[in-house]
Amino acid sequence: MKMNTKVVQFLVPVLSILFSFFIGAILIASIGGNPIEAFQFLFKGAFGTKANIGETIVKATPLIFTGLAATFAYKCGVFNLGAEGQFVMGAVVTIWLSSIQLGLPRIPMLMLSIVAGAVAGGLWGAIPGVLKITRGLNEMIVSIMLNYIAILFMGFLYSGPLREDNLPQTAQVIVKLPRIIAKTRVHVGIVIALVVAFLIYYFMFHTAYGFKLRSVGLNRRAAQVNGFPVKTLMLLSFIVSGAIAGLGGSVELLGTQYRLMAGFGEGFGFDGVAIALIGQLNPIGTLLVAYLFAILRTGATTMQVGTGLPTSVIDIIQALVIVFAVAGSALVNLPKIRQVLANWSAEPKKGQGN
Amino acid sequence: MDIFLSLPFLQELLLSTLRMATPILIVALAELYSERAGLVNIGLDGIMAFGALAGFLVSYQTGNPYLGILAGALGGILVNLVYAFGTIQLGAQQIVFGMAINIFAPAIASFIYKMAFGSSSSLAQATLMAAIPIPGLSRIPFIGDVFFNHTPIVYLTFLLVPITYVFFAKTIPGLNYKSVGEYPKAAESSGIHVVMVKYKASIICGALAGIGGAYLTTSYISTYSDGVVSGRGFIALTAVIFGRWMPGGILLAALFFGFTDALQLRFQVMNSKTPYQLLAMIPYISTLFALIFFGIKKAGPASSGKPYFREER
Repeated sequence: MKMNTKVVQFLVPVLSILFSFFIGAILIASIGGNPIEAFQFLFKGAFGTKANIGETIVKATPLIFTGLAATFAYKCGVFNLGAEGQFVMGAVVTIWLSSIQLGLPRIPMLMLSIVAGAVAGGLWGAIPGVLKITRGLNEMIVSIMLNYIAILFMGFLYSGPLREDNLPQTAQVIVKLPRIIAKTRVHVGIVIALVVAFLIYYFMFHTAYGFKLRSVGLNRRAAQVNGFPVKTLMLLSFIVSGAIAGLGGSVELLGTQYRLMAGFGEGFGFDGVAIALIGQLNPIGTLLVAYLFAILRTGATTMQVGTGLPTSVIDIIQALVIVFAVAGSALVNLPKIRQVLANWSAEPKKGQGN
Repeated sequence: MDIFLSLPFLQELLLSTLRMATPILIVALAELYSERAGLVNIGLDGIMAFGALAGFLVSYQTGNPYLGILAGALGGILVNLVYAFGTIQLGAQQIVFGMAINIFAPAIASFIYKMAFGSSSSLAQATLMAAIPIPGLSRIPFIGDVFFNHTPIVYLTFLLVPITYVFFAKTIPGLNYKSVGEYPKAAESSGIHVVMVKYKASIICGALAGIGGAYLTTSYISTYSDGVVSGRGFIALTAVIFGRWMPGGILLAALFFGFTDALQLRFQVMNSKTPYQLLAMIPYISTLFALIFFGIKKAGPASSGKPYFREER
């Protein structure tokens, strides 16, 4: 039975992805394209050359961070929709540190920048957490409002106090994350992302505190009755979730974008939510789905150049995956379907003595 | 500070308040109809985005913004039926599925826009809906211009407030409807078709939220762009909480948010020295503070957010 739920958990996202590609193919055909050719270009764009493979990894890096941020919060049953704002605030603090010229050597400066980004994200994430546990406010609305405030604040900075010359953008950061693979833009950020993913996985599934956190997500009342510090755990999950997103913003700035301008971090928050949900709220699943999203993104441009199809076809595929994955997870949890699945898994076990 | 007291400024501000409150109000009422049937719909932003696109496209093609509004309503219904199927039939978590709609619907809208207009940077412009002054009343000095010189959508939206109040408080179908959001099992045993009510609620919610989106592209700005909704769906969600799930309360909440938006826009026009980003934060910050000070008590329908399975005991 336990094996079975794991199989289902794995099958739902895989089938959702296949199904979305299938519908995407129909869509491409219906607007006069050749789906097979389009997908060939898509994968060529994502894996064709060493530089392309690198570019896919570069695109995956920020998505892993926001995906993990969403996963972490949802595991504790709180909905952090504010990853975009936390991501932006992480980057904002990083660029501010860069602008005040501390005169630190490169490595300490990088470490300070990244830690400061995580702290800023954590503090920005703490706001909905504190308001939820003290005033019972809806964390989704609060975190969405904070997204808009953070983005406007960033806009204020790059077109005002931190503006460089005439363009509405900041200067480049003074220290950059080192690149790790020759002839690609892959930087050390991907290593940080993988380490964070592993740490979260370990914390969630192999520590007592992680167990308590998950139990709050599964059944808040039961956790409370068991004497778990429910409110503290919820606040903690907000702060950690925000810190992961803030770290992501800092890494994206120091490793890929180098400066803040319009559109920085745009959509990463909701993409993170989608990635977390498709990845079944599992850190490893999050990694894989973030990588898939990155493949779609890098490949989409090549597909557009190669076939003339608009990149938004790929956005549709991405959007379909989330709907199918969410619907699919609900479907397998319907009482009737559950019964069928239980029977199905019980059959072969007959004769093995329960 | 004198300028605040000058009559033209005040008139312009109030006029703008009503105009900006309209999309919030109609979408908040959409949410009320949904929640009264036990469906918390946080996909309002997505529905609005699709409504905005449908409204713009039809109004651009036909030159008739009224058809645009109609298209917005139909588009909204279409999107919300996906939500309805997922949450009612499949019993998906409403919050999660609403979030999926928020990601899915704007992507579709953006795709359709690009298919229709290409990726060219020149924005297509549609004709805006003209204001229809109410004969007689609009001639009253000051008040006439503020209240009786709007597009029909504004009048209809505000008219929807007393209609909704009467429906839920004074009519049998309205009370039956409400019982679905409070205690669906009791409703079912007294002969109400719970699933049917939920679907009806989703259609009403989709239509109203779609109109709210279409209002933006047919009566407020004449172009469509991704992100045109900019969180208004979530502000409407706040208006429902802030207004304590009562039509009158929601009206006040929507007027408050409309006022903050209008104030922000007026400031931008008047004061070119203050960076616009700081002014544009006003509505979002006000929403936060509105929640902090007035959003504590939980007063929503008791069974809102819970899936309903007919066969389950």
